[in-house]
Amino acid sequence: MMSVRRGLMLIAPLALVLAAFFLVPVLMLLPTSFSEYMPGSGLAKGVWTLENYTRIVTDEYYREVVLRTLGLGLSVTLVCLVLGYPLAFLIARGPERWRLPLILLVIFPMMLNLVVRSFGWIALLANRGLVNNLLIQMGLISAPIKLMFNLTGLMIGMTHIYLPFMVLMLVAAIRNVPRDVEAAAATLGSSRLHVFTSVTLPLSAPGILAGSILVFVLTISALVTPRMLGGPTYRVMATLIYDEYMQLLDWPSGSALSFALTIMAIGIIWLSSRLTKRWAGMA
Amino acid sequence: MSHCLRYTTAALLTAGLSVIAQAEELVVGAFGGSFADNVKACHVAAFEKATGATVSLKLGNSSQFAAALRATGGKSDMDIAYIDNSLAAQTHGENLNERIDRTKLKNAGDIIPTAWGEDDSYVVAMVSATALVYNPKLVKTPPTSWLDIADPAYAGKYAIGDISGTAGLHYFLALNKLEGGTLENVDPGIEAIKPIAKGAAVLYTQADQLISLFEREEIAIAPWYPDRAGVAMDKGLSLAVAYPKEGAVGILPAVIIPKGTTKSELAHKFLDQILSAEGQACFSERAYIGSVNTKVQLSDRLKEIVPYGETLDKAWFVDPKVIAKNSPTWTRRWQREVAR
Repeated sequence: MMSVRRGLMLIAPLALVLAAFFLVPVLMLLPTSFSEYMPGSGLAKGVWTLENYTRIVTDEYYREVVLRTLGLGLSVTLVCLVLGYPLAFLIARGPERWRLPLILLVIFPMMLNLVVRSFGWIALLANRGLVNNLLIQMGLISAPIKLMFNLTGLMIGMTHIYLPFMVLMLVAAIRNVPRDVEAAAATLGSSRLHVFTSVTLPLSAPGILAGSILVFVLTISALVTPRMLGGPTYRVMATLIYDEYMQLLDWPSGSALSFALTIMAIGIIWLSSRLTKRWAGMA
Repeated sequence: MSHCLRYTTAALLTAGLSVIAQAEELVVGAFGGSFADNVKACHVAAFEKATGATVSLKLGNSSQFAAALRATGGKSDMDIAYIDNSLAAQTHGENLNERIDRTKLKNAGDIIPTAWGEDDSYVVAMVSATALVYNPKLVKTPPTSWLDIADPAYAGKYAIGDISGTAGLHYFLALNKLEGGTLENVDPGIEAIKPIAKGAAVLYTQADQLISLFEREEIAIAPWYPDRAGVAMDKGLSLAVAYPKEGAVGILPAVIIPKGTTKSELAHKFLDQILSAEGQACFSERAYIGSVNTKVQLSDRLKEIVPYGETLDKAWFVDPKVIAKNSPTWTRRWQREVAR
């Protein structure tokens, strides 16, 4: 077993970088989040208030945005998981010569800039976009259906962007499942489906958990895609925080919302890791 | 030997530093897109030639510049910046603007007196407006009122700006005034704009979003900027500008010198170039924007597009301090009651 001191030394470089460039700046926001903003003259000096935080809970609009953000995070994670697992299974267990091309296909979209990919979706989903034009010309619809500035557009865009993260995590996890355990279950008379649900799936739980946390956190903190596909009418927390900071110049409110988002993310990660451990029998 | 090396290094470094000192660099905050191109052509080129200094442009929008000024708190990384007058009033309220010294400006005397901000904390550098822009191929009778947007003939074929953009805010305020509201009470405006926002093809957040919407004939009419429309017309778009009879809402892009700049002298020289008759005329012609220099003569084509004469007299210039003070409240109400 490695000594604690050696362990600390090994993580020291990363911990220092994180502390200096992440933790300290974030903590510097803490006093701001308790101060009061006076439009026209800036941050009030020497005034401390909890209002920036209480408003997130009491204000109906903020509540709606918070719930929408969490809902979006969960839905995107779920869809990525459902779409990603079969693909990851094929990559991990399918014919060897398919592996490289399939992985390349999965990674390929990540080589394009996020803004470009979101613009691509705008071209496809706009009122006079490719999808609507096609449907109208085929006579399936008479007026364009709204695919942007709502949940549909964000779900499509975000799932597309974060699917690769889920797949890559799952491929590693599925490849790590020992084949002889599956073989043993089969020898003992389990059906193929039963082997999958009682052996393969639980054993790939660490990958499911890691992939889900990654996709969830990336989704709820994403800014560019929600700004482009959600627009001014369908706001999530990240776009709201950006607007509070950059448009309203209300830094206290923006900081309080940022902390709320961080705390929620940490809380949900903690909860889901506990649940998954129990399910996978690791607890 | 090592001494020799040390001296050579020192000499080289000194030489290097003096070269840097000679070619002073002025950091100018400017809006992106064609605005930056016009700044380069009309203001930067002549300034660099006259002073030998170099200019580096930092691109962004007004509220980004205001945020940057606050974040650097009196040690700004910009030496001078173009900024909307309401945000110039905001940064002045936060005590972040250096007082502009008129005596250092050769052209100060030619500038219309109303261009100067409170305590000379900023100076308006150009005049534009939010007016109605339409596609004459689709709109046969030119619109005459802000209310024409809500004409059933354009149902679903119009766009309005989100309140985060100037045109969105201005249209909202104009409608509010028309419905009997005041700057203290915007309830009538909120009620009036709700159905209009709901029926709009798009609530646009970026001015140039409208170009493709007009191009694809997704919209026929929108409250927009005559300057953007003028540039788009030059590129072949079928557009026309109409000034509503209730009066357009004036836009006054200003210039500030942030507090803490070490290059105040040079910044004043750059400002002088911006305000000069040549600088103003050049910018007006290229950007379809009104001038604040009384010596500038606009061409006839320009007079039709920019606020000028009657349209300028009728334009409503909202007190920038009132906008700075109220826009967070208005925006929050808009988010909750209009764009939801």
